[in-house]
Amino acid sequence: MSQLRYRIQHRTAYEYSGRIDLCHNLVHLFPREEGGQETLSHRVEIVPEPHFRSERKDYFGNTVLYFSIQQSHASLDVISKTTVEKSDDEVVLPESESSWDDVSLRSSLSSSFVDGIPLLNYLSPSRSCPAIPELDEFLKKSLQPGKETMGLVNELMGRIYDEFKYVKGSTDSSTPISKVLKEKQGVCQDFAHLMIAALRRIRIPARYISGYLETEPASGQKKLAGADASHAWVEAYTASTGWIGFDPTNNRIPSHQHIKVCHGRDYFDVQPLRGVFVGSGGQELVVEVDVERL
Amino acid sequence: MLDCGYKALNGRRDEAIALDDNIEPEWQDLFESISRHKIEGLQEWRQDAARISRERGLAYRPASTDPGQAEGWSLDPIPWFISAERWAELDAGIAQRIRLAGALLADVYGAQNVLKKGIIPNGIILNHQGFVRSLHNLPLGSGVVGLGLSAFDLVRDSSGQTFVVNDRLDCPFGLGLALENRTIINKVLPRLFRRCGVRRIGGFFTDWFNHLGQCAPVAKTEPLVVILDDSEHKDDSEISFLANYCGITRVHPSDLTVRDGRVWIRALRGLVPVDVIWKTTHGNTMDSLESDIVSIRGIAGIFESIRSGNVAVSSHPGSEVLQSPGLYPFLPTVCRELLGEDLLIPSVLTWWCGDSNSLSHVIANLSKMVIKSVGNTRRVKTQYGRMLSKEELAELKAKIMANPEDFVGQEELNISSIPTVRPEGLLPRSAVLRSFSFVDSSGVVQVMPGGLARVTKFEGAIVSTPAMGESKDVWVRSLREETPYSIASVLSHSNLRVPDIVPSRTGENLFWTGRYAERVAVAARFASRLIDCRSRGLSGTKGFEDRHEALLIQSLFTLFDCTSFLKKKTADESLMAIIKETTCPAGIMFNLERFYFATQAAREEWSPASILAIGSCYDGWKNAVEGIDSYFRLEADLDSLQLHLTAFLGLNLDSMTRDLGWALLDAGRRIERAKTVCGLLSILIKGDLAGDMNTIFNESILYFMDSVRTYQSTYLDKPVTCLTTLLLLGLPDYPRSVFGLLDRLSFVVKKLPVPNHQNHPGDLIPVMQDRLSKFVVRLNQMRTCDDFVRSETLVFLEEMLELLDTLSDELTTSYFSHALKQT
Repeated sequence: MSQLRYRIQHRTAYEYSGRIDLCHNLVHLFPREEGGQETLSHRVEIVPEPHFRSERKDYFGNTVLYFSIQQSHASLDVISKTTVEKSDDEVVLPESESSWDDVSLRSSLSSSFVDGIPLLNYLSPSRSCPAIPELDEFLKKSLQPGKETMGLVNELMGRIYDEFKYVKGSTDSSTPISKVLKEKQGVCQDFAHLMIAALRRIRIPARYISGYLETEPASGQKKLAGADASHAWVEAYTASTGWIGFDPTNNRIPSHQHIKVCHGRDYFDVQPLRGVFVGSGGQELVVEVDVERL
Repeated sequence: MLDCGYKALNGRRDEAIALDDNIEPEWQDLFESISRHKIEGLQEWRQDAARISRERGLAYRPASTDPGQAEGWSLDPIPWFISAERWAELDAGIAQRIRLAGALLADVYGAQNVLKKGIIPNGIILNHQGFVRSLHNLPLGSGVVGLGLSAFDLVRDSSGQTFVVNDRLDCPFGLGLALENRTIINKVLPRLFRRCGVRRIGGFFTDWFNHLGQCAPVAKTEPLVVILDDSEHKDDSEISFLANYCGITRVHPSDLTVRDGRVWIRALRGLVPVDVIWKTTHGNTMDSLESDIVSIRGIAGIFESIRSGNVAVSSHPGSEVLQSPGLYPFLPTVCRELLGEDLLIPSVLTWWCGDSNSLSHVIANLSKMVIKSVGNTRRVKTQYGRMLSKEELAELKAKIMANPEDFVGQEELNISSIPTVRPEGLLPRSAVLRSFSFVDSSGVVQVMPGGLARVTKFEGAIVSTPAMGESKDVWVRSLREETPYSIASVLSHSNLRVPDIVPSRTGENLFWTGRYAERVAVAARFASRLIDCRSRGLSGTKGFEDRHEALLIQSLFTLFDCTSFLKKKTADESLMAIIKETTCPAGIMFNLERFYFATQAAREEWSPASILAIGSCYDGWKNAVEGIDSYFRLEADLDSLQLHLTAFLGLNLDSMTRDLGWALLDAGRRIERAKTVCGLLSILIKGDLAGDMNTIFNESILYFMDSVRTYQSTYLDKPVTCLTTLLLLGLPDYPRSVFGLLDRLSFVVKKLPVPNHQNHPGDLIPVMQDRLSKFVVRLNQMRTCDDFVRSETLVFLEEMLELLDTLSDELTTSYFSHALKQT
């Protein structure tokens, strides 16, 4: 085993057609340090220079930055520069000690605390992961009684990969999973939301992961989908395994090529840059992500 | 049965009647009084209460198309009498309840021991939409306010047991109503009030206002406290009563802005930092940046400001989660855990369907249950099993079975009744007591000795909706002598700052109140003149009168720049449009509605007398023109409209509390009037009429400006254009002339502060005065109306109109720039 280093640059740039007098923003771009991933350096550069900034931990333990710009501006540039180190170990899918339909686990799951907050956060429906009956139709085929939990999660990941088409630009951040289910296409965020909603439907705790993929793979390896923008995948939980990652966009268990940033119930908890501004006119957004192995 | 005919319902406890059928001692004074006044007296009390509340603007609101919404809380004159002994019990229970809620709030947003120990199921907290995750792990106390003003709804069942049926902690409704009710009933039953020795509630209000001042995160000698209220509607006018009463500035979310991690009011005198916010809005949508729920009424960045310790918000924006009825089954254990005490007043018996035994119980007794949502997702309306059909019950059952943890079932209580005046006499009605309390800065619980009582309008109705309920005052009997209480005098010794801060939005509404008032007045005078001409004639020929009438109508619509509205209309149709069309910009109704909405958006600025005058203008005129198809009987109503409008404007000279607001109202009025004078003179001169028509049109213009008699006494001649112009523009010391109006404008606009980075808008006025004086000197020299003078006058009037618009625009950009521009 050896350590890998990545340098990541994530730029979010807004151009406004009018002038913005005041804006308030929340930034979720600070990589969590867990699962053997360590942040060697991190900074967020903001142009124009904010008048006020403050950092804190959010409810889910992510570092979040609040900033406000209080003078008239026509563009906003937020550049996050990070160096992280993690091991190059392949993660192998562990087997959990229970089957997905083991009712004796239900009450202990919904009453337990993990990482300082109730696990129930990841079991209840959320804004982008609602409990819709259409999910049952999708799940039905895989729900054999007594099936081992992680095996089932892995199977569902594979089925999303097989049955849904990755189409860049086919959806946006507010596309409901009902539409994704119907049209059988989407991007990484949609597949993550769909998988989370499906897992919660059968009472498997699941959360949304925001992060990055290595942009240029080592020679001879295939370039992964979603590498040019920020990426999203899923973590599922059982008591015996803890949280395990699943990337339904690429049908694989995230390992050294996946760099995790934040986790939450769904996209809205970890939106990289969320803003409210006072002013008029439209806006144009450019996002550039570059992940380089050092 | 008592001699006034009052008796309790079968099987129901009545608060006024003891088990031995005698009157409870605390109610005896009332019944003695009733036996003297008889049933006629009761109806008089009821009418008095209705009249006074209407006059104070309480029950007053525009008719709505939805009949359920049209009625507000009406007030029943009979108070709810509570004995000192009974109150002592309630007081202790309420005090414990708020201590418990406070401790639970701290735990839920902190260590969450009640969840970790499994005392409360996680879902009750986590799946409630009032649980604000972004405020978790922010310790309460020092700077971060826990519970602020809280309310508990209490009832008694047939066994005499008291229950809490609702906890309202986030932004309870009714404090202003309780205060209003006391004020009104005190006027209806002044002698009974004195005789009964009723506990005063004024002290509770001053303690609360003082406490708010002490909540300031940084100790300040003069903290700035505001009431945050996002209601655009009149229904919630109780907030403006409170604001008016205590002099605390009422702000709308759009009045506040966050900069440098601090909260500021956008006020007429610039950005003013806010220390304490008493919110009467929902906490979970308070911050549009951080809320899970999308809201356009939020204040972006305000949670950061709370975290930074720069502002105190009362109550804690995450308080709503504790209102969940899902907590009720667990509260006795929580109380022992957090306070080490037994719960004194139980909650109404509640079963959480997430527990399988409870679920079976609820399903088995569904037709007797009240079903509520645990998460308050607002998708689920409270359902009363007894009111549902078989099919509806089956549907409800299916809904519960699909997501049992989202529901609770509650026992529907046989709630005790109190005497209430109905047209038939005194009848028993089910009653709920809303009690108000807070924990003061030294940790002592303050409970209002009284509260807000609500009763059903008819038997079997649900108490909690305005459409079915009425409110009542609550009289807690005192054991000792109560002394009258002056809140104003107590507040003047407190550290609470009652500053002259007018939010820009309020300022703009005051300005437009003045402008629309003037527009209504002009349209009303046109209508009067037209009706007058129609009914009495001007002793001219028919053709002459028709032409004059057409001229007047054309002039009014030209003045309001909406002549296109006249297309293909007969004179009759145009006159009716002026009178009643809400879409006619030159009409009375159109401008009266805008006047009314502007007054309502700034309603805390008005004295009770002004509210009465506003109501008389708007209601009076609406009632007068409703359904009419002829204008002939409207003269009295037109006079009355103008009288009330004049009264309203005159009253504000005396009674508006804030100088700046008053200055803007007055400025709006004078600018509009000066524009009207210049506009009408322009029309008059352009018309270039001759002979009798010129004389009569001149007279009409003078009539519109209420200047006929001044003209006659000044010039002792029939009106001619050049003298009309001279009088209305530049008669010195004549307040209705542009000269007088500019004088007045100069005086009031000077009161406004110098805006940042800009010239004072008032700098324009000397320029206008100078132009006017020079022009008037010329006019005086010539005193003719030849072509040369006419064209010169028209150029001058155009220039004045432009300058007046510039002045209005400059007031807007200097003081109201963030608000939407009105025209």
